Amino acid sequence: MDCAISAAGRALGAGDPLLALKRVALRDDPAALALRGIAMAQLGDLPRARELLRRAAQRFGRHETLARARCLTAEAEVALASRDLAWPPRALTEALRTFAARGDRENAAHARLLQIRRLLLLGRVDEADAARATLDLGAAPARLAAIAALVGFEIALRRGRAEQAREALRRARDAAARSGIGALRAEVEQAGRTLALPAARLLAAGEARSLTLAEVEAVLASPDLVVDGCRRLARREARVVRLSRRPALFALLQGLAEAWPGEARRDALIERAFGARRTNPSHRARLRVGMGRLRRELRPLAGIHATGGGFTLMPREAGTVRLLAPPIESSDAAVLALLADGEAWSTSALALALGSSQRTAQRSLVALVEAGQVRALGRGRAQRWLSAPVAGFATTLLLPASDGLG
Amino acid sequence: MGKESDTERRAEIVREYGPFPGAPRVNGVSFDGSLVWVAGGEKLQAFEPASGESVRALDVACDAGTAFDGRHLFQIAEGRIQKIDPATGEVLSTIPAPGGGRDSGLAWAEGTLWVGQYLDRKIHQIDPDTGAVLRTIESSRFVTGVTWVAGELWHGTWEGDDAEIRQVDPETGEVLTRLTMPAGTQVSGLESDQGDLFYAGGGGSGRVRAVRKPRRRPGR
Repeated sequence: MDCAISAAGRALGAGDPLLALKRVALRDDPAALALRGIAMAQLGDLPRARELLRRAAQRFGRHETLARARCLTAEAEVALASRDLAWPPRALTEALRTFAARGDRENAAHARLLQIRRLLLLGRVDEADAARATLDLGAAPARLAAIAALVGFEIALRRGRAEQAREALRRARDAAARSGIGALRAEVEQAGRTLALPAARLLAAGEARSLTLAEVEAVLASPDLVVDGCRRLARREARVVRLSRRPALFALLQGLAEAWPGEARRDALIERAFGARRTNPSHRARLRVGMGRLRRELRPLAGIHATGGGFTLMPREAGTVRLLAPPIESSDAAVLALLADGEAWSTSALALALGSSQRTAQRSLVALVEAGQVRALGRGRAQRWLSAPVAGFATTLLLPASDGLG
Repeated sequence: MGKESDTERRAEIVREYGPFPGAPRVNGVSFDGSLVWVAGGEKLQAFEPASGESVRALDVACDAGTAFDGRHLFQIAEGRIQKIDPATGEVLSTIPAPGGGRDSGLAWAEGTLWVGQYLDRKIHQIDPDTGAVLRTIESSRFVTGVTWVAGELWHGTWEGDDAEIRQVDPETGEVLTRLTMPAGTQVSGLESDQGDLFYAGGGGSGRVRAVRKPRRRPGR
């Protein structure tokens, strides 16, 4: 490596992409292309970054495995930042193998963190946490320690563990300060704001009250029966009944919880669960079937009694029923929660992260665009979606697979 | 090229030093007669070859080769060559580097400086006072370190995954001897102890390796 390459690499490590570019701006050798690519990524020009990194990877010789592995890793990071979740994870695995074989522990840790962040974006929280547990940071620089702590913060958030999240945030803040990288410090502060924002609303007796994540955690730890509208489940301490894949049943449960301790009227339940304003005998039959199914699902937590005008929820051991509602009222809250990261997502990436079909994602997006909550950029394959800022809310609990409770 | 096979042999690594604190990679190495100096990006630090212990550090930007003329250290940084007082770390003077940023290795010999130009596969001999290029030798490989020992010019090369320490004819650039480094090792910076050892910078590994210099064969 020559002087300008070393100096540019040093500038990038210190989070100064403009200084790095100054050193190698006019050079087209593969090492310079790679450094320019990483600098552009740090500056936020992701398409240009990707193009430069691709050219660099092609220009490095077939035998320059380490250099190519570094380019691939940088490209994976750009893909992650572009929310391009279809980017082949196998390339990153291969790069990781190369780093491990060559004893390049810093880049190995970097590649591993990218894999974990990808799992998190896809909502695979348990896998991400397991991978994080085996992460060997060794003597890695503070920059990587900060990112690892941020990953821990995100995992704790998604599990609704406010205290763990706070602890991870402390570590992230320390490491970011040691790294001396301003952008990283800003990222940690931004992440930290989530803890103070309303994460859900508690509905009780016709009143709604905003809760922070820590307050949500306290509600979940109470001996009450909690109907959680963020994660679409019912729980009482360690017993959890998940209804995230059964929207009609969950709508019925919500109706019951809202009316508790009174009865939920049949008409109101039908309207809520089947969207029908006028009821007919077939709706009544569907309600009976749905209620039967819900009763079976809910048996460990609560009973459902039929009354003259409707149904009443009867928690076991005469506890209280509390209803948690999402911080924002929208049937497409999960899409909004994903877009709340401020990045431009493609439909396919959203579908992957939601675990739904592209058609379903597209339908939500169209509705959100009409409601003025989301805007589209570009057309066709290049189309991306951005949320109008959902400022003032912590949308963590709405993210897919935020139900890794345990 | 067939002729090269009888001059090619495996490099014999005698000892490894480092990695050194605050120096994730080695950009250059030099030897002042008792200490080995390591250019680690932000600090030029010296260790004792017998104990391997870091004993001194100067705050100088050091992105490539380092050399020692008997009194001063020379260090490439940001397209220039700085002349440094090793006692204080003070920069005494600066000349432009011939490659303007493409420079890698640096060596002192016979009153002149020799500068390796990495991707251009060249070694320049320059005037240490003005920076004027006196002579240029072409190499067949990337040049990552340069050193003179007992009238012989050696340079380090690291191209792709292959690294070598080579002796070249200073007049013609012809390769006389090749020491191949083990797979996966890098050579970034080269210095001789003026005896039978080379010190080779190990790039991103942050290490410095002592490599045995082969005996001069009779009749050469």
